Amino acid sequence: MEPQAYAWLGAGLAIGLGAIGPGVGVGMLVAKTVESMARQPEASGMIRTTMFIGVAFAEAIALYALVIAFLLSFK
Amino acid sequence: MEHLLEELHPTMYLEYHLFGIDLSITKAVILLFLACFIVLLMVWLGGRKKSMVPTGMQNVMESLLDFVRMQMVIDVIGPKGMAYFPWIATLFLMVLVSNIIGLFPKSLAITGETGTTFAWALIVFGMYNVATFKEKGFLGYFKSFAPSGTPVWLMPIIVPIEMIGFWVLRPFSLAVRLFANMTAGHIILLVFTFMAATGAVYIKPLPFVGVVIMLLFEVFVCAIQAYIFAILAGIYVGQAVQEH
Repeated sequence: MEPQAYAWLGAGLAIGLGAIGPGVGVGMLVAKTVESMARQPEASGMIRTTMFIGVAFAEAIALYALVIAFLLSFK
Repeated sequence: MEHLLEELHPTMYLEYHLFGIDLSITKAVILLFLACFIVLLMVWLGGRKKSMVPTGMQNVMESLLDFVRMQMVIDVIGPKGMAYFPWIATLFLMVLVSNIIGLFPKSLAITGETGTTFAWALIVFGMYNVATFKEKGFLGYFKSFAPSGTPVWLMPIIVPIEMIGFWVLRPFSLAVRLFANMTAGHIILLVFTFMAATGAVYIKPLPFVGVVIMLLFEVFVCAIQAYIFAILAGIYVGQAVQEH
């Protein structure tokens, strides 16, 4: 294979594998948020805000992988 | 695919180098000044005539600044943090306005440039370093790398991790988080637009709907990234100010 092909393969793998962890993380976050909102509906506003912060943190990890993927594919 | 990336690069208006440093005036520079001007205008219009029953811009600014005060200063730093409130409010408004500017046609994401985000992250880095020195003193600054209650045999592991986190990871992740979020959003929009423009007629509506939905989502991302940037600045300063 050409070097460029390896770079594209690496880019695909980077974002594909890098999205697994954040995906699981966001899923767990939202599941727990729904659970705690059902248990305590009066605190749902605060829980939702905290969830969004957490989701943004988890999402950022996937975006780091995306940046690496772009760096590789536009090399 | 290459011309998609070209879209993300700012147009050069005036090339200018000073002592080997690139100080060219690009589209991003002009938009950044525009963002500064908009923030200034917002604050000026909001505080021009203070009435007991706020109307118009004063309403907007009061609710925005009260949100910053309650959510990012009082809750995170504590009552002592009111000294940092103007700084955090400025950061929040600046990041918010420059994120939103990037969504307008013919403009580009200012925060999608590593230069901008790294500069802002360096400002936050400098601020929490100064805050730690001021609140804890010279010895306390270095003592903060060894959290109290850590067993002695863990020290060789904990201290370097804390040091790397404090000096490298915090500013780096602040900058890269904002940059990556904005760049990724704009690339997704560009890809959808590209598909809508060049796709076959029967498939065109699908990416078009995608653009509309993603644009709505991007407005939300802009606001939440500004919130996260400001709240993290608050948390980092708050760790210096609060007693453990």
